[in-house]
Amino acid sequence: MVARTFPRSFGALEAIYAFIREFVAGCGIDPEIAYDLDVIAEELFTNMVKYGRGGRREIEIALEWNVPILAIRLRDFDVERFDPMQTPPVDPSRPIAERRAGGLGIHLVRQIADRIHYDYQGRDSTITVTKVVSS
Amino acid sequence: MFEIRMLEEGTVRLAGRLDAAEAERVGDELLAIRESVRLDCSELDYISSAGIGILIELYKRLQNTGHTMTLVNLLPRVRSIFRYAGLDRLLRIE
Repeated sequence: MVARTFPRSFGALEAIYAFIREFVAGCGIDPEIAYDLDVIAEELFTNMVKYGRGGRREIEIALEWNVPILAIRLRDFDVERFDPMQTPPVDPSRPIAERRAGGLGIHLVRQIADRIHYDYQGRDSTITVTKVVSS
Repeated sequence: MFEIRMLEEGTVRLAGRLDAAEAERVGDELLAIRESVRLDCSELDYISSAGIGILIELYKRLQNTGHTMTLVNLLPRVRSIFRYAGLDRLLRIE
């Protein structure tokens, strides 16, 4: 697993995308998969930035390729518990006028991922997302 | 980096990555569109929920004033995000 930390700021997104691209290129898998990882990383990272109460330290993102499973793990240190998977599901069939704000990012992660796991231990909030990638 | 480029009358090209950081930066500029518009997405590489949120808001504002918003030339990966969001059947996408 390759890990790097990023400042708690939306301004860190460009560096996160670069980290993902570097990792995907190194694994030799389809570069298009990087866009799925970008969405997962952005949605979970920005959630931690917005809702990770008490968080002052940088957020860690780790990536792992264990054929055929691609894993991305985000860890927010010393924060209150916040499990984004508890967000009420979005009903994609609802008319646009009735769509409420929020929840769409996690909905996208759910759509892209094969498995999502949340863990909270020692005030560290960790979410791990895996996706099976066909080679 | 995300850019908004005016093309011919009624057509605006979205180019680059419309993520949370860029949605904050350019949201007001997009929401300043007041007439029916075709959004050419041929150079829109990436969109996330934050970008979709801005487009939904623009769509609602235009619809409320009798105008339309049409998305054209979406890359497959961008179209997939709209499909995941359940918007491919609700928005006008050509």
